Amino acid sequence: MYSAQITRANPTCIVLLIDQSGSMADPFSGDSSRKKSDFVAEVVNHTLHDLVIRCTKTEEVRNYYHVAVIGYGRHVGTCFSAELGARQMVPIAQVADYPLQVKSSYKRVSDGAGGWVEIPVRYPVWIHPASDGKTPMCEALTRVKEILERWLLDHPKGFPPTVLHLTDGESSDGDPNEIGQQIMSLGTDDGSVLLFNCHISTRRAAKAEYPIDERALPDGFARSLFQMSSRLPANFLSAAAQLGVNVMEGSRGFVFNGDPSSIVQFYEIGTSLTGMTPYRWMDDDRRSELA
Amino acid sequence: MSSVKQSAIWNLETRHLLLPKLGHEASECEDFIAFDTQTGRFAVTDGATEAFDARNWARRLAQHWVENESALTPEEFREWVAAEGRELHESWSGLSLSWYSEEKARTGSFAALAGIELNLESDSALWKAIALGDTCFLHYRDGNLLKSLPVSRSESFNSAPVLVASDASMHEASMGSVVIDSGSCNDGDILLLLSDAMACWFLERSERNDLDPNCLFKTKGDEELKQFFNDERLAGRMRNDDLAMLRIEIAQRRVG
Repeated sequence: MYSAQITRANPTCIVLLIDQSGSMADPFSGDSSRKKSDFVAEVVNHTLHDLVIRCTKTEEVRNYYHVAVIGYGRHVGTCFSAELGARQMVPIAQVADYPLQVKSSYKRVSDGAGGWVEIPVRYPVWIHPASDGKTPMCEALTRVKEILERWLLDHPKGFPPTVLHLTDGESSDGDPNEIGQQIMSLGTDDGSVLLFNCHISTRRAAKAEYPIDERALPDGFARSLFQMSSRLPANFLSAAAQLGVNVMEGSRGFVFNGDPSSIVQFYEIGTSLTGMTPYRWMDDDRRSELA
Repeated sequence: MSSVKQSAIWNLETRHLLLPKLGHEASECEDFIAFDTQTGRFAVTDGATEAFDARNWARRLAQHWVENESALTPEEFREWVAAEGRELHESWSGLSLSWYSEEKARTGSFAALAGIELNLESDSALWKAIALGDTCFLHYRDGNLLKSLPVSRSESFNSAPVLVASDASMHEASMGSVVIDSGSCNDGDILLLLSDAMACWFLERSERNDLDPNCLFKTKGDEELKQFFNDERLAGRMRNDDLAMLRIEIAQRRVG
């Protein structure tokens, strides 16, 4: 299980599900300058950039992945707009061709001789930050389930879909556990859908990363999210270990009270799929600032 | 395909096989084989699937390594790779690239390489080998594996080997992983240059004493051999990857 080769004939799909409720406009604890929604949008744009680059073969982007980015807050629906806005699930080659804009910047890299050089880099932007309304998590998960059911009809074989869900608060429309379990019961001949959840906190509270049981979790909401989080398959465990994350057999794809560095790692691990080396888009010096 | 070369003392019989991933076109294959039986130089390369222009980089490395007369010491290899990398990057200048191709090109290209040079002019047939990445050189005698480099065990293949980088800034990090070795051949020895999936398959079977490379190649024609490895991939006994195999059989000339 979770070993199918990802090819153009047998692509996989990745759903990024993002809480865009009003509270996402709040800053992280200890960093009043930056809204959670801004940071999450940046990480999602980098994740999409990474997925495109992985599929780029010289001048062609191969459709190894189909991608959906679903937001929930005042509305539930795709975060893509313009050319990509008409479809919930978009082949990665189309994602590549239709960013909203491509920003240019410079990045400091090693010159290989002990010094540093600045090289030009491009930052495509597909989604802008959003934060408005309540937290209709059940409605959003129901939408994800519908999208996956349609996608699986056409793709019953191959590496199963991965859903990366990020939220900063409790559901405003009921316990999401049941719909989460329904999503995890879907799958392909290579395994069940992988549902990973990352809860981020505004408060300074003890964080739980990739636990194997519920004992240390503080409340019913945390336990509910834990229960609707898939166990990390071996390839994901290996990717997490490469990133220096403390995981073990049985670890769930679940973070509670995460901070900015937790978000970055959550997306890196969650998109590592078939044992790919996690793509570290964030410089180590900036990464250490987040920790 | 096969060819034969004779020196005063030694016969050299080569055979090679190149197959793209199942479901892919031959034009998409990123493995390359190059050899020159006159100079006794042989190379197999494997372009990294995720790299920019990997096919050209792998082809360039294989062909130019065989055409070269040196690059068998760390210093020569470093200089040679640097020059090849510069030429590859120069070939990209002036291209109008999309943002993603531009990003990809920035990190350069990557490939695995294994090359050997044979000296058949003396009583001992000698080989020198160089390898970086997970393309391998295997030396068999009487059906037994004598040497495998740079990877010696099947479980050591992983998805992130250190490869030959086209970008000079990566050279410092990669050159420490270059493996150079030498040895001699007896009458009837088999030398193989193999890209990673093929090398892993050979090593697994050798570890189980479940393979006689003589038997495999003697009993199968080219089409049968292709079908055999296609079946191995379909059955999941071999990873579905591009396959390159260059087999060299060394035999003493019989006089009279």
